[in-house]
Amino acid sequence: MNMMTLQRYKNELIILITLLFLMFSFIYKNAANTYVHQNKMLIQKQIMELNSIKALKEQWGGKQLANKLKVLKTIVSNSKVALFQKKSKKLHASYKDLTGSELNKLTNKLINIPVQIVQLDIKQSSKNLYTMELKCKW
Amino acid sequence: MSLVDKNNQKLLIHKDMDSVSLKHSVEIILTPEFYTFISEELDIKFAYQAKQIAQSLFDDYLDSSHEYQYHVSKHGESWYFYAYDIKEIEAFLESKGIEAHRVSKIYFAQELNIELTQPIKISNQNVLISIDDTVTILPVHLIGRDTEFKTLDLSKVKLHSGVSLGASHNSLISLKETILLSSIFVILGTIFIIEGNRTTASISKDNEQLLALLDDNPSYSSTAIRESILAKYKPINRVERAKRKTIKEISKLLSAKSELSTLHIEKSKVLAEITTLENRIINQITQSAKEKHLKTTVTGKTIKVEKSL
Repeated sequence: MNMMTLQRYKNELIILITLLFLMFSFIYKNAANTYVHQNKMLIQKQIMELNSIKALKEQWGGKQLANKLKVLKTIVSNSKVALFQKKSKKLHASYKDLTGSELNKLTNKLINIPVQIVQLDIKQSSKNLYTMELKCKW
Repeated sequence: MSLVDKNNQKLLIHKDMDSVSLKHSVEIILTPEFYTFISEELDIKFAYQAKQIAQSLFDDYLDSSHEYQYHVSKHGESWYFYAYDIKEIEAFLESKGIEAHRVSKIYFAQELNIELTQPIKISNQNVLISIDDTVTILPVHLIGRDTEFKTLDLSKVKLHSGVSLGASHNSLISLKETILLSSIFVILGTIFIIEGNRTTASISKDNEQLLALLDDNPSYSSTAIRESILAKYKPINRVERAKRKTIKEISKLLSAKSELSTLHIEKSKVLAEITTLENRIINQITQSAKEKHLKTTVTGKTIKVEKSL
């Protein structure tokens, strides 16, 4: 193609070049849309998983849980704590002669500490007195 | 006389010329047989303005059955206007063996005005002459017998205002349409690129957040590890929350006229026994438990409440 032909068809050439620019930019836009559509869900799922893991591990395996459990020993008088044995990441506790309100306080405290309740036994020993046995882990 | 320059770069085109054979590009100089010329003193600054009015200047001089192209150039205070039919010129050139692609530029013999202090004999019948600063062709017999003819050496002639053969054709698409269409395409293209960039940027924030989380916890980069950790903690979360919710629900069943006998929680079950002395309270407890989706069994004055986790 010589210069003469190029000059003759320069208008057509300009339109062709700008049309190609339009086509490429359209393809780029579509490719960007497809890329985002395919990856956004995946990335958000991964973020959600990571945040969930972080939150769940912190909640059900937090390092401060052993300290928080000490309150279960001090919330009632020492004479009512028959057993309070903390071993590894497990607690075995036993209480006797708990009044209704003491039982309520103890239970409320327990359910607000994020430990796994393996076993909980509350029995009425006599009128308005209860025994409680608790096994939990974290 | 040389109507072809020594380097064969310029060629004077006139109707009586002989056929030529070219192996290289040439610049051609058209004699007035191929164009119509008007010189006007106009208060116009730019060539594009002059070109805009060119067609109207030639209205009374041109054959409307032909399609003309226009060329303008400024000489001193005057504007030179040329009208020519490129198809006719091309056809003539072809008849003389000059292929269109060999023509690099077209000039007009008007530019030879300065050279034409004396007429130039271009053929046996015609001379090229300048009359009142307008180059024209006259038959030889109209020139006096004692007139001396000048020899023109085209290689020494300086030409300034020419047009390329390609540019002289009317394009299939007009300049106005070209500007309009190409502007629309460029604007749309730019919008698409901006939109594409914005779309890509919308994911980059999430991507950065993910990378930051993975940097903090590199051990969770594997999907399998993440799924295994979630598989461990999700059931714990669900069951432990259910245990606590059930304890709260059972405690809400109790009143001044009822008391808890036993509460037993194991891996996937919560069992409680509530005793009361009044049948009305038994019904109340049973009704409330039902609303809370707790299973109840009444044995005498004892209500057994159960929930599977």
